Amino acid sequence: MTAVIEAHGLSKQYGATRALDGISFNIETGRIVGLIGPNGAGKTTALKAILGLTTFTGELRVLGLDPCRERDALMREVCFIADVAVLPRWLRVSQALEFVAGVHPRFDRTVAESFLRKTDIRMSSRVRELSKGMVTQLHLALVLAIDARLLVLDEPTLGLDLLYRRSFYDTLLNDYFDKQRTILLTTHQVEEVENLLTDVIFINHGRVALSASVEDLGKRYQQVTLAAEQAARARALQPFYEREVFGRVAMFFEGRTPAELGSFGELRTPSIADLFVAKMQGTGSR
Amino acid sequence: MSGTVADMTASAPPAGTTLAAKAPGEVLIALVRREFWEHRALWLAPLIVTAALAVCVAIGRIHLQIEDSELIQSEAQRVAVFTIIQAVLAMPLYVVGMFVVSFYLLDCLYAERKDRSILFWKSLPVSDALTVGAKVVVALVAVPLGLFVLASLAHLLYAAILGARVLLGTLAPVFTWSTYEWLRTELLMLLVTALAVLWYAPIAGYLLLVSAWARRSPILLATLPVVLGPLLEWVAFGSHYLSGFINYRVNGIWWLLGVQHARIVTKHAVYSVGTALEVLNFRAALTSIDLWLGLAATAALVYAAIRIRRYRDDS
Repeated sequence: MTAVIEAHGLSKQYGATRALDGISFNIETGRIVGLIGPNGAGKTTALKAILGLTTFTGELRVLGLDPCRERDALMREVCFIADVAVLPRWLRVSQALEFVAGVHPRFDRTVAESFLRKTDIRMSSRVRELSKGMVTQLHLALVLAIDARLLVLDEPTLGLDLLYRRSFYDTLLNDYFDKQRTILLTTHQVEEVENLLTDVIFINHGRVALSASVEDLGKRYQQVTLAAEQAARARALQPFYEREVFGRVAMFFEGRTPAELGSFGELRTPSIADLFVAKMQGTGSR
Repeated sequence: MSGTVADMTASAPPAGTTLAAKAPGEVLIALVRREFWEHRALWLAPLIVTAALAVCVAIGRIHLQIEDSELIQSEAQRVAVFTIIQAVLAMPLYVVGMFVVSFYLLDCLYAERKDRSILFWKSLPVSDALTVGAKVVVALVAVPLGLFVLASLAHLLYAAILGARVLLGTLAPVFTWSTYEWLRTELLMLLVTALAVLWYAPIAGYLLLVSAWARRSPILLATLPVVLGPLLEWVAFGSHYLSGFINYRVNGIWWLLGVQHARIVTKHAVYSVGTALEVLNFRAALTSIDLWLGLAATAALVYAAIRIRRYRDDS
């Protein structure tokens, strides 16, 4: 497999703040990668560097290109939704299609039109007349119609209601994603993309806290839910995080076998959301 | 829907091949059209002015302050009056056009940051140079040319209205249509407009740079240095170099052309506006080093605006 993004020692400093502190990671073709981290962890800065929107130090290749120097060529292969509501408010839906068709060599207008026909969006509407959810649908229609190799989404569903969020990700997965494409996304709503992701990169204080495929997560991390009386004994196996749930204790382990843990209680693979909280609070308390 | 996407994917080039960019000309056309979608004042204001002038022509009166009104009896004089009406009616259009373009230039690179749509524009494969270039093309080519065409066509409308009024007897026949003089006047307008565009280009570049740079209130930022600079210079040094320079960049082109030598209306006669073609010194204006220095400054200012748009990181 070829790497879509190769980052090595990527750093970015804003005044005294280190937004990115020498992070390294690889993202390969055909993956859906979640870049997950608390506010101010450096997620957006990392995406900006990948999209050539900001300068940085360190090495970074996106689709084999230098995103800063070869930005225009890169943007023919990369799509991004930077946030909701960045479509200009004065723009009409028909104008949006016409403009993108005029400037993008990989835009197929019929695809966008057929997607929009399934929505309540009218061609003559201006963006300002659309609801937030509809604006996202319009943006999604534009992106779906661009045959890009990398799609970058920065909090694409922020502020949307559940129905729009769900259909956003469903459309993305069913109508867009294939093995030729790669999706990189950041979100706060980890639960919602949990089943979508093939890989996760946890990032905190400008550093990579964890980078693994979802498959590997199941092998590396275990969660045991046990009775409070068992807790002291289980602690001997050095859980990196624990929390109390309805009088029982959930403990998170790294690199233990089912044989070691099975006797304490109910064993399962931790969800990405739980793992995220565990990792972030775990590293915070250390 | 999923079928359509699958079809599209199948016919798409395999991953790894780099698809050629769109031709810059095609992209430029899309970018220029987009400017007129966003900044509707660019075409609305001239149309409104034209409509208002048409109303004035339909109900207004013509006052001729020429002492020897006998002169109006001659054909040449009536043709001259016709061209003067043509020029006077075109002026408001060009003046409004200049204001609209100035506000447009101040707003165009600021608005996209203010409404955060810049991230959308930047998600498309359009270089910053081409984006800013399109705005320069709108301000210095598309709008001036559009104004010229509109003014020329509008004058046909005005002439028709005036002719109808003469036929109806509600207007004295103080003018006569002359296709030759109409074209000569329009040629003069075209040349002067083109020259004015070249001379005022650095001001356009300055406004564009302020628009790219301003965090808030670009209008204030653009006017403050022009007002405060000369004032501070006068307070500090008692000199007037800055105000002299600003005055020259605003009015210099008319001095170079020698507008003061053109005689259109005198106490005893009126002359066709087209006669100014023989009087105005276009060669002196075009070969003026200051005009070319101004164009070099324009290039530098536009380049700076492109760099700011490219590397600014506060969205």
